[in-house]
Amino acid sequence: MDVGRHPKIRLLAYSEIEKIDGEMGNFHITVRKKARYVDEKKCTGCGTCAEKCPTVTSDAYNLGLGKAKAIYKYFAQGIPSAYTINANVCRQLQGKKCGVCAKVCQAGAIDYKQQEQIIEFDVGAIIVATGYDLFDATKIPEYGYGRLPNVVTALEFERFLSASGPTHGHVYRRSDLALMDALPEAEKSQQKAAKGLEQLEKKGGMSSADFYAKYEAGELQGEEYDKWAEQVKVSRAATEKLEAMKAKVDQIEGAHRLAFIQCVGSRDIRFNKYCSGFCCMHAVKEAIIGLEHDRDAEVYIFGMDIRAVGKNFEEYRNRGAGSGIKFIRSRVAEIYEDKDHTPILVYEDTKERQVKQLPVDLVILATACQPSEGIVKMAATVGIETNDFGFIKTASYPPLSTSRPGVFVCGCAVSPMDIPESVAQASSAAARAAQVLSGSETERLAS
Amino acid sequence: MNRDVLVIGGGIAGMQASLDLGEMGFQVHLVERLPSIGGKMSQLDKTFPTNDCAL
Repeated sequence: MDVGRHPKIRLLAYSEIEKIDGEMGNFHITVRKKARYVDEKKCTGCGTCAEKCPTVTSDAYNLGLGKAKAIYKYFAQGIPSAYTINANVCRQLQGKKCGVCAKVCQAGAIDYKQQEQIIEFDVGAIIVATGYDLFDATKIPEYGYGRLPNVVTALEFERFLSASGPTHGHVYRRSDLALMDALPEAEKSQQKAAKGLEQLEKKGGMSSADFYAKYEAGELQGEEYDKWAEQVKVSRAATEKLEAMKAKVDQIEGAHRLAFIQCVGSRDIRFNKYCSGFCCMHAVKEAIIGLEHDRDAEVYIFGMDIRAVGKNFEEYRNRGAGSGIKFIRSRVAEIYEDKDHTPILVYEDTKERQVKQLPVDLVILATACQPSEGIVKMAATVGIETNDFGFIKTASYPPLSTSRPGVFVCGCAVSPMDIPESVAQASSAAARAAQVLSGSETERLAS
Repeated sequence: MNRDVLVIGGGIAGMQASLDLGEMGFQVHLVERLPSIGGKMSQLDKTFPTNDCAL
């Protein structure tokens, strides 16, 4: 990425705006740079620290689907490439004994005593590009997100599709992934039980099978033998559990039947009345890629309509239909699961006027684009207003001006939009900021 | 008149605005809340309608 290398761009990552004083042409900015506990200038991004770090936690970038260490890089190609210590889970920063990363770091970049920094500077114009958050799908309990393991969001599915994601691009049911994850633990407890048994066998001088037969027959009695018998039972149960799990894991196939549900939290008077815009095409894209991964996959998209408004979007939708996506005009009423965690969709097929049920392997929810969680606080800090929907309020003309002169906004901080539109708006906001810096905005406002 | 500019947010919009202003010769300060820039787009595998890689 060119942003990290550009001589005219000073990157302040892991930082938040503390205060903005002054006015257009002369803003005074105060930024709080959070402690990374790693020196950004020294860290080479080699990753030895994370390899050796003993603390495993869930991975925020992969939305908790993968694992990360307490010292982490937000994502592999991230810029700046420096690592960061998660102070909430790091043993050293929690006051326990550790210090492994500092020992293995050849660059000497680890600094457990690093403090927050306050950085101040002056600017003439400001661009707000704070983006959005996704709708929390647990607010729609009938879809079971968070409760049913095989109901995921579109962004989570995106991580499944990614070759650098937690499943290396293979699409599995999340319940199967949990099973695979649990296998090493079951193996460990089986081995532990077997080891305990081995010791007892050595001490007792016979095999456990022989012993147990005799014990059952009442030939051997006493506290020692009771313990041994108990251990035999524990070991047998652990082996049985492991065998059953292995058999199940052997049967695991990738998720083959995919159902996409549109407008989850959008165009819904209970949550957001507006259309989130990009989700239709996002679902079509994920469905096409899902079909590329597995040509025989059954792929359904459930929605009120497909809004393919954009250059080449309609053609893209038709390409998806051509490669086998089944579009079903329906708003899914409910999802429940059977005992194998297979989600079953209950819906009305509005073309056939019939209520139907459909079992699938994975349900993918197109969650709405919402104002970001911190937008109210951020807007107050920057001194700009939000609109009725909670996005940043803009003038109808010129469109990217906020309520504070010299402050412009672009991207999903304005309203839901896709990537090409965000990029176009960003260039537009940049041009508006340049007008301020060259003095022509002051003239425009005066006239 | 100060000739620097502040961009808040290092997602696709913030990065594009920063690059444009940098290319015009203005000094840009780009502030990102997370440890890395890239935003939500960096989490996408490919993008529509061209299926190009997002990164």
